Amino acid sequence: MKQITKVLEGVGSVVQLLLQSLSYAGTLPRQGARFIEQCYMIGYTTLPIVAILSFFIGTVLALEAGYAMEGFGAKEFIGSLVGLSMARELGPMMTSVLLAGRVGSAITAELASMKVYQEIDALTTMNIPAAKILVLPRLAAVLVMMPVLIIIANIVGWFGGSVVARYVSSVGISPEAYFAALRHYTKFKDVMNGTAKAEVFGFVVVLVCCDIGLNTRGGPREIGASVTRGVVVSLILILVLDYFVTKLLM
Amino acid sequence: MNTTQQTARVGLFFLLGVALVWVTFETLSDGKLFAEHSHKLIAGFDDLKQLKNGDEVRLAGVRVGSVETTRLAGRRAEAVLLIDPKVPIASDATATIEMSGLIGGNYISIEMGTPGSPPLADGAEIKTVSTPDLNALMSELGGLGKQLQESLGSFSTAINGDAKGGGGIIQKIDKILTDNTARLNATMVNLQQITDKINHGEGTLGKLVNSPELHDQLLATVGEIQTAAAQAKEFVANAEGIMAQVKSGQGTLGTLIYDPKAAADIRASIADIRSVSDKLAKGEGTLGKLLNDDSLYNSAEVTIKKVDRTLDGLNDSGPITAVGIVVNALF
Amino acid sequence: MSAESLEASCSKTRNPFTGAEADAVSVKVEGLSKSFGDLSVLKNVSFDVKPGEIFVIMGPSGSGKSVLLRHIAGLDIPTSGKVTVEGLDPSLAESRDRVRLALVFQAGALFNSLSVYDNLALYPREHRSGDENAIRARVMHALKILSVEQSAQQFPSELSGGMKKRVSIARALVMEPQLLLYDEPTSELDPVMGATISEIIATLKNEYSVTSIVVTHDRSLALTIANRVGILMAGKLISLGSPDDLTKSKDPRIVDFLNPKIDIEHPRFKKLETKDNL
Repeated sequence: MKQITKVLEGVGSVVQLLLQSLSYAGTLPRQGARFIEQCYMIGYTTLPIVAILSFFIGTVLALEAGYAMEGFGAKEFIGSLVGLSMARELGPMMTSVLLAGRVGSAITAELASMKVYQEIDALTTMNIPAAKILVLPRLAAVLVMMPVLIIIANIVGWFGGSVVARYVSSVGISPEAYFAALRHYTKFKDVMNGTAKAEVFGFVVVLVCCDIGLNTRGGPREIGASVTRGVVVSLILILVLDYFVTKLLM
Repeated sequence: MNTTQQTARVGLFFLLGVALVWVTFETLSDGKLFAEHSHKLIAGFDDLKQLKNGDEVRLAGVRVGSVETTRLAGRRAEAVLLIDPKVPIASDATATIEMSGLIGGNYISIEMGTPGSPPLADGAEIKTVSTPDLNALMSELGGLGKQLQESLGSFSTAINGDAKGGGGIIQKIDKILTDNTARLNATMVNLQQITDKINHGEGTLGKLVNSPELHDQLLATVGEIQTAAAQAKEFVANAEGIMAQVKSGQGTLGTLIYDPKAAADIRASIADIRSVSDKLAKGEGTLGKLLNDDSLYNSAEVTIKKVDRTLDGLNDSGPITAVGIVVNALF
Repeated sequence: MSAESLEASCSKTRNPFTGAEADAVSVKVEGLSKSFGDLSVLKNVSFDVKPGEIFVIMGPSGSGKSVLLRHIAGLDIPTSGKVTVEGLDPSLAESRDRVRLALVFQAGALFNSLSVYDNLALYPREHRSGDENAIRARVMHALKILSVEQSAQQFPSELSGGMKKRVSIARALVMEPQLLLYDEPTSELDPVMGATISEIIATLKNEYSVTSIVVTHDRSLALTIANRVGILMAGKLISLGSPDDLTKSKDPRIVDFLNPKIDIEHPRFKKLETKDNL
């Protein structure tokens, strides 16, 4: 019972924070510097790890597909399998998971320490809402940066798959055949679909991590607890939302 | 890091993203994301089978568009096709749903139509032809297989007889041949005797040369032999006909053989052959004339050789193969 | 730091829309109680702070002074009773639009991600009071008052505790508050700087009718600047009066608190020793 109340409280708090942040959307043009700073944190600094991860996801996909499809002579479909699964599912999902781990945790940690060290209280007495200057720029930044991360993740993943297709002898199909299959079955619509998913995931991760950070109570030890909570809740939400958003976008 | 540098990096990063999105878009969609420039055609079918949104539309095998949506319209199913407006579709062109492979998807194939017919306007309806799909084909094949099995079963019964002891064709033919073995053997022995006498009948050759009347008679006799051979040929042809009918799967042959009249005919034919060989055995003196007529001798020799081979076959083979050997040897 | 220079600086930067009457803000605390779970921190505390007054709250650690101050700042919601600032609920954003109140946190609560300058400039920028030049003048002046102008480009993490406290007070000044709340303003400060703080509090009161509520256990600060002093012990307000009343009080708790005697023969030291020996 207590757990249910806690979950409902959390949902309410997140929705409240979202509405509050959106009500300050008009102030975004005056928060350009903060927006850029968050774009830098969320997009630019996350790129290397996203690229590395996507590359290896692509290679593993191609490898597994090669192994599985060899059995019934459908190796020429490796490209389409890698292309579609990267664009529709693994690109958005894994990038969001990385975002939760790298950016979400940082956001929770930062806001939690601001809360614990009374910086949030100071903002309140200054009548500067945290939703306006701390949450809104992050939400806007993740919306702008997510598509960029996703498209890079997709392309790097596809490329990773082609490298395996070409150089691993058990797979051994030419990059031309690989990309032809990829192009034939992967439509731009699929990429858009994946990007839409990623936008939802990224937005939710940032929003939830902000909320958990801002609701931290107690001392420095609670900062760590909040970070753990933020990442765990984000990961759960990504996977749960994944199902519903996928269904919705079909 | 100073703010300007950070802003520049974010800007660069964002532009890179936009560029990559554009490249991907161009590569994957051939620059045709938005359908507003496309022609719409309606294709109505009884059954859209596995056709789904986004499947290809091909004109004579070339991709010219895609399926925008599928919907129900009253009692039929409709597919809305988006066609490249640069490709005119003739008004008498027909659309069919085709499979692009056993595990692949479906696509809509449009025939060219006749040249010179006016193109279909945007939103017009295209003629359609429904084709059996794989499932229908499979079920038809299954039905065919069953029929085939049934007819093979009855054929097999006709040939080999059934469990209730009813005789099949093969048994009947066996019976006929077994019943007549003695008579056939007698005929063959007579033929052997004739050839022996021809071989040893050298002493009577002078008489034959001085009797032209006898010569004429001999010629008539040879004519009779030829007629008899023709009759034998006819009999064997009949046998072959039976075989052919057996091969062609006609179950009615059994009744023919079972028919006592047919059996009597066969016996009569065999009796004819016997009477011919009896006549030959009696007409011993006239055989000298044969030696003066090369062509006559040759034709007799050919006939005898064939009969010889038949005899050999009959002696060391079972009755069934005997039929085959007779057939093979004589023709 | 002279009172004149402070006056000069503040008259320049003061917002024109507030009249003198509006500046003087009264605070009313009525039957305030606060519990965190089973722990009762404040028990039925009531007092008034008159406009332009310096009200000092003293008490030993853990007596609930800071919690009381947070209630006045509107950061905590009372379990029962109520706090009003000029008749308004301080926890509502609308009230803060009408009454500018600033809280100087004990640990400074500076924004760690912003430089000292940006910490001070945040409020005027967010509330769009003046262009960047006006804001710069205002910020630099406030820093100069607290003698930390040389640290303008430093980040809070590079500052010592005392420096942070001074920057924190400067940040409160930039807000041009009508009600200024200080949580231990002189802790971590050397005596000279402590005196400066006393001077600033007094000047703000005298010249600009800024109502001040100071939570401290600094006896000299309290007795120097206070108009009235309230003593909080274990969540209860046990005494309320002028500094003179306080020094004359015969209440043994107050006498003990104001004149702590260090008696190593006292039983509590004995206890400590025994504990150590165990």
